[in-house]
Amino acid sequence: MGIIARLTGKDKTQSSKKILELTPELIKEALTGIIDPDLHENIVSLGFVRDIVIKDSNVSLSINLTTPACPVKEHFKKQAEEALAKIPGIGDIQITMTAVSPTAPKYENGEVSSLGRVKNILAVASGKGGVGKSTTSIHLAKALALSGAKVGLMDADVYGPSIPHATGVGTPTEMNGKLLIPPSKDGIKMVSISMFASADGAQILRGPMAGNVVKQFLTQVDWGELDYLIIDYPPGTGDIQLTISQTAPITAGVIVTTPQEMALIDVRKAISMFNTMKVPVLGIIENMSYFICDGCDKKHYLFNHGGGHKIANEFGLPFLGEIPLEPIIGNESEKQRTVFEKNSSSAISKAIQDISDNAVRALSVLQNKKISGLESFHLTWK
Amino acid sequence: MKEYIGIKEIWQVDNKTLGITWTDDKECKYDVAMLRKKCPCAACIDEMTGKPLLDPNTVPSDVKPTTIDSVGRYGMAIKFSDGHSTGIYSYDLMRRLIENT
Repeated sequence: MGIIARLTGKDKTQSSKKILELTPELIKEALTGIIDPDLHENIVSLGFVRDIVIKDSNVSLSINLTTPACPVKEHFKKQAEEALAKIPGIGDIQITMTAVSPTAPKYENGEVSSLGRVKNILAVASGKGGVGKSTTSIHLAKALALSGAKVGLMDADVYGPSIPHATGVGTPTEMNGKLLIPPSKDGIKMVSISMFASADGAQILRGPMAGNVVKQFLTQVDWGELDYLIIDYPPGTGDIQLTISQTAPITAGVIVTTPQEMALIDVRKAISMFNTMKVPVLGIIENMSYFICDGCDKKHYLFNHGGGHKIANEFGLPFLGEIPLEPIIGNESEKQRTVFEKNSSSAISKAIQDISDNAVRALSVLQNKKISGLESFHLTWK
Repeated sequence: MKEYIGIKEIWQVDNKTLGITWTDDKECKYDVAMLRKKCPCAACIDEMTGKPLLDPNTVPSDVKPTTIDSVGRYGMAIKFSDGHSTGIYSYDLMRRLIENT
């Protein structure tokens, strides 16, 4: 051993490591230095490291994350490769990144079998109409799908459905037993009432009927295995919103707003609705934040400035990001595409991808009890 | 993105003091009369300008909570013995209040 130490110029502890046998424990120990930036814990104690296989000096393992859309996926992989390469005598290193989201709880009455394999249900709501919920929902769905997640998109706006028109998705043609198989576009499964009626004919429905429609979307559609089902809420805080919360176990809400004070008044109501329904809110997305004209690079704040931040601060919620007002969003949507197809590295595409990443991170924090703390409490003063 | 902080434990320390252990293990004690004076609701703080509307001298010195309930996963609603109950104290606000004391 002394010879090895002298030959390699390393100290004794280093050289004694050299003859250490490769064991799963040793591998795990080497990976304890990798900390999840959101959960503030190392990936070994979080239980992410799995399937360690050691063959001679070659090591393969998988890192199992909570979501395939994890924004730090590549970062983890690189860190793990570097950490393992430092083990003396190690041969080939093969790291596979996998993901299993925690399974969503099934609802008590067992009615939600069509959602049985849906891991997260995200409700996109605003309170006020016209702030770009549908556009945001579509882009959020697309951004999540581009990060590798299986995504579904449900248009709950029964009176003003816009998702089929904006995406060009087809109409459902097949059934799986009693469940309707949703059509998909670019791998995203979608359902909207306009698939079942002519696009120009108005939906004239009494409240209970409208509620029935969204209930059917949640109970009679074969959503299959999804990492995220995004529900594009109608504006307001009424019947349909209540029905959805009572029919499906919503994982979390996302609030979309525009910067002006008028929108914020309704946003407070939307947050209050989620509170009443005990649905945690992931954070605030500000749409139409600013406009950059083609003449200069100046950000023009057409609808006031900082409203999204203001509401996030008021409620202590994360601010997920801002989406600029750019003609490209509207133009692409007319062509039934998203900004990602036009140019996935443009500033606006990047802004939306950041929002999606922030939402995924906020969700993983929320699902980690150690960080999110007590789900609810009641204290009576004596 | 902002760090998310939750409540690990919440309890009544004595007649005038509320205790909270946060998920980052920070343990805090709050004077309940101070909490009443810092109520963030629209009747106590002007929504548009952020100017205080509540005169702290009008708050009874022996004011205390009757009940404290969680609101969503980001805040708490406190009902006070003077009948005031409209403020939602976000965790964010609660954390800012300790930094000021």
